Amino acid sequence: MKPKVTFAYWGNYTIAFKTLFEQLGLEIIPPEKTNEIAIQEGAKISPELYCFPLKVNIGNYISAIKKGADTIFMWENIGGSCRQRYYGVVQKKVLRDAGFKVKVLNLNSKNLFSKIRELQRNNRISFWQIIRAFRFTLKELKFIEKLEEKAQHLRPREKIKGKTNEILRFAFENLEKIDNEREFLKFKKEIFKKISGIEIDKNKKIPKVGLVGEIYTVCDGAINFGIEEKLGREEIEVHREMDLTYHLKKGIFPWKDWIIQRKIMPYLRSTVGGHGRDAIKEMLDCVKNGFDGVIHLLPFGCMPEVTIRPILEKIHLESGIPFLSLSLDEQVAEAGINTRLEAFVDVVRNYHRSKKS
Amino acid sequence: MTIGIPRALIYWKQPHFWETFFEELGFKILLSPSTNKEIVEMGVKMADPETCFSQKVYWGHLLWLEGKCDLIFVPRLKAVAEHSFISHSRFARVTEEKLEYCPKFFGLPDLGKILVKTPILTENFDERKEKFEKTLERLGKKLNKKREEAKKAVKTAFLNEKELKEKERKEKFEKTLERLGKKLNKKREEAKKAVKTAFLNEKELKEKERKDFFEKINSKKSKIVLISHPYNLYDDYVNLRIKEKLEKLGAESIFIDEVPTKEETSDKKQEIWPKFHWEFGKEIMEKIQEILKYKITGVIEISSFQCGCDAVLKEFVEKEFKTKKIPFLYLLIDEHTGEAGFQTRLEAFIDTLK
Repeated sequence: MKPKVTFAYWGNYTIAFKTLFEQLGLEIIPPEKTNEIAIQEGAKISPELYCFPLKVNIGNYISAIKKGADTIFMWENIGGSCRQRYYGVVQKKVLRDAGFKVKVLNLNSKNLFSKIRELQRNNRISFWQIIRAFRFTLKELKFIEKLEEKAQHLRPREKIKGKTNEILRFAFENLEKIDNEREFLKFKKEIFKKISGIEIDKNKKIPKVGLVGEIYTVCDGAINFGIEEKLGREEIEVHREMDLTYHLKKGIFPWKDWIIQRKIMPYLRSTVGGHGRDAIKEMLDCVKNGFDGVIHLLPFGCMPEVTIRPILEKIHLESGIPFLSLSLDEQVAEAGINTRLEAFVDVVRNYHRSKKS
Repeated sequence: MTIGIPRALIYWKQPHFWETFFEELGFKILLSPSTNKEIVEMGVKMADPETCFSQKVYWGHLLWLEGKCDLIFVPRLKAVAEHSFISHSRFARVTEEKLEYCPKFFGLPDLGKILVKTPILTENFDERKEKFEKTLERLGKKLNKKREEAKKAVKTAFLNEKELKEKERKEKFEKTLERLGKKLNKKREEAKKAVKTAFLNEKELKEKERKDFFEKINSKKSKIVLISHPYNLYDDYVNLRIKEKLEKLGAESIFIDEVPTKEETSDKKQEIWPKFHWEFGKEIMEKIQEILKYKITGVIEISSFQCGCDAVLKEFVEKEFKTKKIPFLYLLIDEHTGEAGFQTRLEAFIDTLK
C-alpha cells in the first residue's frame, strides 16, 4: 500500500512542496490553508508553552489526518539552538498521545540521503526522478518568491486597486495544477506578461517598511493576517529579505553567518539561535537604506526573537525609525492587529513626510 | 575595585565559585541580596514582557547593582564539551558532545549593556573553541605522520586518559579563567591560585551534599523530588519557599541536582527522550534515571513562565514519571504567583500521596 503523505502548511511555498511529492510519485493529501479552526484544534492538544508554529503544524496535520493521511513529512533542524530542533520528536509524541496512529518521517540534513534511499526502495522511484523533482521544486520556489517580491512593489503603486492580488491569486491557483516543467515555463512567461501589464503610478512617493523577524510568521500570510497585503492597501511598500531561498543559502554557505556577525558586532557578540542575528542585521540595513519603518513579527515566546527584541528597540531609539513588534499566537485576534497596524501606518506616513521636508 | 555579581540565574549554577575566584584575585565582591519583592518589580518593569521570569529576576539584580560597584560580572556561558564513553559498538570510542546552555544566556552581556550604565565584565565560556584533538592531528602532520595514524593515536590517547578527562576539562576552564584574570591586570600565578581555592571550596560543598542526599533518601518521611533549574530551586523568593512548605506538611524534599550521577553512559535510552543539546536537559534526564532507582513518593516540577527549554523538557519528564506511575505535579511560577494558591496546590498534592 502506498503511503498517503501530508505536511505542514507554509504560505505559498506549500504549492512547491506539493509539487515535490507529486513529482516523486507519492500520493499526497495537501494541507488546508491555515484557518482559525485548525489553530484552535492544534492548540488544544499541543503543549501549552510551546511556540506557536508547532501548534499550527499540529492543526494542519489533524485536518489532513481526518481526510485519510497516514504519513507526515517534517523537516527537522539539527543545528541551531532554538526549539525547532525538537519539533519532530514533540510532534510525534503529541500526535501519538492524542490517539492518531500516523507515521512520522523526520528528515534532517544528516539522515536526508538515507531516508531518500529508503523512500526510493519502498516506492520504486528512480534516481533521475528525484533530481528532476528537486529541480522543478526549486524553480517553483524561485518563481513564487519572485511573484511575492513583485507584488510588494506593485501593490502600493497600482492604478486599479486590487489588480495585483487578483493576478497573484490566479497564478497560485493555477500553479497547483501544473505538473510538468514545460508547461510551467509557459505559465511563468504568461504570468510575468500579465504582471508587467499592470498600470502603475511611477511618480508617487511611497513610504517603505521593512519586515523582519521569525521566518515562519514572516512568510506565511495565513498566520500574520496578510500583513503585506494590508500594508499594500494602505499604499506602503513592504520589503522582506527573509524567505526560504535565503534560509537555504545560509545553510549551504556558512560564511553568510560570519558576515552577519561582523555587521552586528556592536549590538550582539554571539549567536542566540534561530534567525536572531539576521533580524538585527536586517533592521540595521533598513535604517541604512532610509526606510520609514520596521515591523518585527514573532511567534509568542520565540526564544531568539524575544532575546533580541531589546536590541531592536535600542536601534529604534537611536535612529528614530518607527518600530512595531507583533507577537502572534492562538489568542491574537485580527481586530487587535488591525488597530495597531493602522496606528503604525499613521506614524510611518508622518515620518516619511517629515523626512522629505 | 569592587565587582558586582548578581545573585540570580547563572550564579546558582556554581554558587560560591565566582566569589572565591574574584576574592582570591584581590577584589572586593558585592553580591546582590537574595531576591525580594523590590528586585522582582524592578526587573519586571525593565525587561521585555515575553522573556522568562528567571531572566526578569536577573535584570532586577543587575539594576540593583547599578552604580554600587565598578564592574558587573555577566559571563557569557555558551557551551560545555562533555565526553561520553560508548562501548556498545564494535569499536569502543569516546565521543565528544557539545552541549549548549539556553540561548537566552548567550545574549545576557549584550542586553545587560543596554540596561545598565556600569561597565560589564564578560568572557566567553565556550569549550568548543579550545579544542584538543585538532591540534594533535596537526602535530602528527608536522612529524610526517599520516592523518589516520595521528587520529588513531589521538583515539588511544583519549582512551587511556579517560580518568584524566575530568581534570583536563577543568584545565580548559582554568585557561579561560586565567584570561579573565589578565583582563583585570592580575598575574597568571595569582589567577591560578584563585582558581584552585575556588574549586576546592566547591568540592567540599559537593561532598557534603552527597552525604545529605543519602541521609534524606533513607528517612521514613514521604520523599518528594523537586525538578527544576538551580536558579529556581535555590532562590527562596522565586520558588515561594517550597522547601519550607513541604517540610511543614511533613515531607522531605530532594533537589534534583543533589542526586549523584554515575560516570557510565550508554545510549540505549535514546528512544525515550531525544538527544538534548541543552546541558541541563541532558543532566536532568540522566538524574531522573538515577533517582528512579530509589523509592520516591512524588515529584514536583517547577518551571518559570515562558521558559522555552522547559516547554520541551516537561513533555519528557512527565512521560518518564507517568509510565512509572509516580505522582507528578507541574507548577508554573511568575511574578503574579500568589502564595495562597501555591499552598493549596501543594497541600492537595501531599494529600493524594497518602
